[in-house]
Amino acid sequence: MMYKENGLGNRSMQYRKGLADRAFAAEWVRRSSVWALIAGTVAVMLAGCASEKQSASGLQQSQKQDSVVVAITSEPATLDPVQGWGHGNTPLIQSTLIKYDSDMAFENDLAVSYHLDESGLVWTFRLRDDAKFTDGEAVTADDVAFTFETAKAAQASVDLTFLENIEVKNDTTVVFTLSRPTSVFLNTVASVGIIPQHAYGSDYGTNPVGSGPWKFVQWNPQEQMILEANEDYYGAVPSIKNVTIVFMTEDAAFAAVQAGQVDAALTAATLAGTEIDGYRVASVSSVDNRGFTLPMLPAEGRVTKSGYPIGNDVTCNLEIRQAIAYAIDRGLVADTVLNGFATPCYSENDGMPWNNSEVVIDTDVDYARKLLADAGWADTDGDGIVERDGVEASFTVLYPSGDSVRQAVAFAASEQVAKIGIQITVEGTSWDDLSKRMFSEGVMMGWGAANPYESYCLYQSAGAFKDDFYNPEGYQSEETDQYLSAAMEALTTEEAYRNWKLVQWDGETGTAMKGACPWVWIVNIDHLYYIRDGLDIGVQQLHPHGASMPLLQNLCEWKWEEDI
Amino acid sequence: MKWNNRTRVFVLTVMLAVLILILYMIGLLIPEEAVGTDFQHAGQPPSWAYPFGTDNLGRDLLLRTLKGLSVSMTVGIAASCISAVIAILVGIAAAAGSKTVDGAINWIIDLMMGIPHTVLIILISFSLGRGLKGLLAGIAATHWTSLARLIRGEVLQLRSQHYIVVSRRLGKSGGWIMMHHLVPHLVPQFMVGLILMFPHAILHEASISFLGYGLPPEQPAIGIILAESMRYLSAGMWWMAVLPGLMLVVIVLLIDRLGENVRTVIDPYSAQE
Repeated sequence: MMYKENGLGNRSMQYRKGLADRAFAAEWVRRSSVWALIAGTVAVMLAGCASEKQSASGLQQSQKQDSVVVAITSEPATLDPVQGWGHGNTPLIQSTLIKYDSDMAFENDLAVSYHLDESGLVWTFRLRDDAKFTDGEAVTADDVAFTFETAKAAQASVDLTFLENIEVKNDTTVVFTLSRPTSVFLNTVASVGIIPQHAYGSDYGTNPVGSGPWKFVQWNPQEQMILEANEDYYGAVPSIKNVTIVFMTEDAAFAAVQAGQVDAALTAATLAGTEIDGYRVASVSSVDNRGFTLPMLPAEGRVTKSGYPIGNDVTCNLEIRQAIAYAIDRGLVADTVLNGFATPCYSENDGMPWNNSEVVIDTDVDYARKLLADAGWADTDGDGIVERDGVEASFTVLYPSGDSVRQAVAFAASEQVAKIGIQITVEGTSWDDLSKRMFSEGVMMGWGAANPYESYCLYQSAGAFKDDFYNPEGYQSEETDQYLSAAMEALTTEEAYRNWKLVQWDGETGTAMKGACPWVWIVNIDHLYYIRDGLDIGVQQLHPHGASMPLLQNLCEWKWEEDI
Repeated sequence: MKWNNRTRVFVLTVMLAVLILILYMIGLLIPEEAVGTDFQHAGQPPSWAYPFGTDNLGRDLLLRTLKGLSVSMTVGIAASCISAVIAILVGIAAAAGSKTVDGAINWIIDLMMGIPHTVLIILISFSLGRGLKGLLAGIAATHWTSLARLIRGEVLQLRSQHYIVVSRRLGKSGGWIMMHHLVPHLVPQFMVGLILMFPHAILHEASISFLGYGLPPEQPAIGIILAESMRYLSAGMWWMAVLPGLMLVVIVLLIDRLGENVRTVIDPYSAQE
């Protein structure tokens, strides 16, 4: 519809031009709709062709035996551990003082030993003396101190507020002094890759030097990252020599797998049902959970610091939250919505060593109905929704639009709780809008981390009603705060874990669904990958939230099987 | 009985209008529950029970498409009515007002036409907080330009006609001339322009919603259905995109044809073509 008008022209000319405009407009509509039709058909035919082509090209081995191409969806923002790289995962390029084994217990990495003094405040780490950065310089205690000082000063994603002082005793001994006992200190240490003091500058995040099993080669933003095995690594040198990490959407990765261009690719539950010759689907369990946060206070006109309304008159009732928790058949949600690629979820940390097995509840619709009836909720007007004192058991749950998994889980759950007379309206919206309404409406959220500190963030009273998504429901409990402090200040890991478990259930109450029930947990999402036959991706740890980087956690264990 | 061209076209037009109206009413009458989720029947290809298949959440796509079409049509009708009213006011103002007003209006029309509609609608819709309101405002504010120019040309041409000059000399008031000489000429233009604006508005509504700047995602609108289907195309669920898309094309072509026919009937220049 682009044409020009010549100002005030001949009048009858203009009239005819008007008619022509109109005819032109009609023609445009006709043409564009025909184009839309053609485009739609072509898209479908292409999709069809792609799936037919898979058998031909899927078999061809495009890669050499010592290299691997991995497709993931989310690209790291930086490769600087101080700015958050590797936080929650292994930093690949750098190495950490200690790391997790596949059972989520700590094992030594750069450290050869570490101990805590009796005050619970002073940690002494002894380092190995044979570790070198990939530029040939040795890793010393100075680099360790430099790393933690920089990380503390940066105040980025690593929380080191409890770290008071770092002292270098000699080249291989470093002493950390804390301001208060902090049991999650080891988890924090395990997430901070050591950076070289001599080679750290403003461009470190895009061109890092580290002492990890992988050497950085190249990074083309939004395209790919290339790593090669560090032959001088002090640990076992990876069997794969070259790794190309490509960043693409699940759809693009699916097409790349069909074309045989990648060896491993992140995929989605909707796509993973398709079998592709030459590939298998690897399903990795995770603590990548999905569940509802439900506002725990009534709507009394309070607002948060940022001015957003607090409270919901339906979900503030414990029996409503618990009835929802008991009414949902988590196994059914996992099977129908996620094609079986999920497991029932009962807490933020299912399967972790600090999880309390008491959090598990059985689906019991009759019990859910009884909870409602005992509290006086009944369907008196026959509309299928229970009410009490004129308040209908009806509320909204938000999810970020575009997230098909959250959408589907939310719809499935609302379908199931409709049976007990609770109406959940599922509404997709932007993160921006969601962050304003999450204090007064339910939200389909997700967490999951390899660090119990997450539970502290989720449930501490002081964290309620902040804009950080941890505690929008407003869970506040003095008892829980005491357990949380005890867990944080515990001197041994065992004592810390014991207190983390008490947070969830102490025999009477807790954050579990049979306790105060601030959350209704629904499923842990399995992370799914297409893996080329013959590629061994080792034993994957329980994955945290986010499916891209956790896959690469044990990249140095990957290998090609010999007989292929 | 032998029908002449005009009668035949007239009957055809009425039939088209009734057909479109029926489609619209069906969509309006489908209750919310009928387009609810049902995970037992998710992702089914077209069958007798589900002629359009079901989507990933087990929603019946035929019902959802019909409901979506009526939502899209409501948006289209409302937006084009507003737009047409703007057009007629602006058009008359340009033609009847002073040279400066005319120049200014022409400049604005050129400016509006110079910016691609989609971009402008996204801007307006976004600044008004998305959703139905923003989308309506966006479409209404962008579609009046060509009709306004048409009306302006029409009025300019009419004002110089002899019978109007004669009327004025005979002492008829401006209002009388307006009612007896201008309005009968403008109404057909207005009606045809209005109807031909529907398909534009509907297509724009669908495309903006498809891009995620329009209606919220749980609203059954065609653009939303198509956007959702994109995620499942590579999983082989072609029916989620093709059939609703086809319905959109059909409805747009129907309304377009209706507009053409209305023009044939009420426009004396083309009535016997």
